[in-house]
Amino acid sequence: MNVALLAGAVLNGLVTGMIYALIGIGLSLILGLLNIPNFAHGVLYALGAYVLFSAAVGPVGFWGGLLLALVAVAALGGAIEYLAVRRLYRVHPDYILLLTFGLSLIMTEAIILVWGPVGITFQPPVLLAGGVDLGVTFYPKYRLAVMVVAAAVVLACWLFIEKTKYGAIIRAGIEDRDMVSVLGINVRRVFTVTFAAGAGLAGLGGAFMVPVRGLIPTMGIDILPFAFVVVVLGGLGSLPGAILGGLLVGVVQSLMTAIWAPGADFSVFALMALGLLARPQGLLGQR
Amino acid sequence: MGRQRPLLRLAALIGATILLPILVRPVVAAEIWIFAVAAMALNLIFGYTGMLSFGQATFFGVAAYTAGLMMIHWKAGLLVCLLAGIVVGALTAAVIGYFCIQRLGIYFIMLTFCFNQMFFFVAYKWTSVTGGDDGLPGIPRPPLALGPLSIPLNTSLRYYVFVAVVFLVLFYAMKRIVESPLGLIFQSIRENPSRAAAVGYDVKRFKWIAFTIAGAFTGLAGVLYSMMFGIVPLEVISWVTSGDIVFMVLIGGIGHLYGPLIGAAAFKWLSEAVSVLWERWPLILGVALVLVVLFLRGGLVEALARLRLALARRRLAAGAGAESA
Repeated sequence: MNVALLAGAVLNGLVTGMIYALIGIGLSLILGLLNIPNFAHGVLYALGAYVLFSAAVGPVGFWGGLLLALVAVAALGGAIEYLAVRRLYRVHPDYILLLTFGLSLIMTEAIILVWGPVGITFQPPVLLAGGVDLGVTFYPKYRLAVMVVAAAVVLACWLFIEKTKYGAIIRAGIEDRDMVSVLGINVRRVFTVTFAAGAGLAGLGGAFMVPVRGLIPTMGIDILPFAFVVVVLGGLGSLPGAILGGLLVGVVQSLMTAIWAPGADFSVFALMALGLLARPQGLLGQR
Repeated sequence: MGRQRPLLRLAALIGATILLPILVRPVVAAEIWIFAVAAMALNLIFGYTGMLSFGQATFFGVAAYTAGLMMIHWKAGLLVCLLAGIVVGALTAAVIGYFCIQRLGIYFIMLTFCFNQMFFFVAYKWTSVTGGDDGLPGIPRPPLALGPLSIPLNTSLRYYVFVAVVFLVLFYAMKRIVESPLGLIFQSIRENPSRAAAVGYDVKRFKWIAFTIAGAFTGLAGVLYSMMFGIVPLEVISWVTSGDIVFMVLIGGIGHLYGPLIGAAAFKWLSEAVSVLWERWPLILGVALVLVVLFLRGGLVEALARLRLALARRRLAAGAGAESA
């Protein structure tokens, strides 16, 4: 294998890895704080992509579409938590898993009803069309931009969680939510906000991916297993873990595709099974 | 009265196996009992032992592919294939289960899910053996050979009768397992694992046994499925099939012997009936799942019980009204 091919594979891995991290952060916080394996997370990602598509071909444009995908999917996530998930905190978490599984079926079908069952390709905005010569390889401008912007969003999330008071409340909630509640903090509202923010990040991740992978209604179901790998590998509720897990999964998948394509997806799940058995709390998780 | 009820239920079940092919097409009827076996197996580990497996399609699929390949390449007989399904299902579950039961809760679910994905991608990419996305076609349905007697199962009704008989035998076996001392240990693990351990039971070992038994049942169901349409589609080993099986147990009623049967029948009948009417039928399925989870967590079995209770109350109230008048 030559250097250009290898560099391309690593760069591709970092781009998808950043998107995985974006999806993984939300999924991880929801899992850590609310104890929910959110099976609807993949479809929220897909919805973000379709919102961007509709916005970009309409008057809002591509850049407004990114913002709209973030806000609209966050609002939907908040509504899901407030109207449905909230009713099930007192019963076994398995039921919340099943609820989100049902919601994912509904939303996938809704996407097909609104946007049709056929895949759609989408060109990056004119500003970022074409590629740049990086010396070792020639690489699309849009993908580089996604890598940088996604990294900035991920960094902002990290700073928010680590440095702000609200972030401290979320971290405390992951440690011991009853204690946080005893201290007079409205944990229920923190749950709703976290669910909404996690959903919004997934939607934004989906929107970023539209010019890279295009659109297909099953994109949510396809990405969900990988998002779970990212979270479990990194550690439930750990934000740095989700980032590391995302990059690791992205690069492994991309490199394996370049080396031996049929084994690429298998190797990701083998990695997760090994990780879970060797270090169940995840690479950077505490519990 | 109380002692006769189980017999009455069993009689009702046999009656249902006779009536079902009249109500729906024999193919759908056979599919219902096949998935009832898989749902029954999940109920053993989820409903009775308290472990939610999101990877039952692994055992269903591996056994279906194994039997399919045996029939295509070796012209294997019917009973040999069924036996192979049991063995392959149990072995796969024993190996995967050994790792999964080391973890609890979400981690357990994720591990079962993760192994399911690994097997799915092997089946998807190993196209020379499994046919990949196109499925494994051209499976002949062998006749039922009992000694010198050979009964062809060449019509869908004949195959239905065969499936129904196998199903009834498996149901009886499951009933015996659940009601045996072993079944009680499983239930004590569901109720309180630490107390079960304190009483002296090796919790992990019994979880492993439950997982393996369920694998054997699911494997057998997979073999029956592979013979039915003469093709093993890739979907049988995907996590969506695992989800469907969970769904059947849930709408039927968790931890109830008859729940998964009712759930499988409702699920398959509903998807058959609605898919003809509307291509987007999983939407209705999703709505049903959400409603069941929010308002009727005991499933259809609980719905029936509630209805009976309401009727009894009304009768009681009417009786009291008559007395006072």
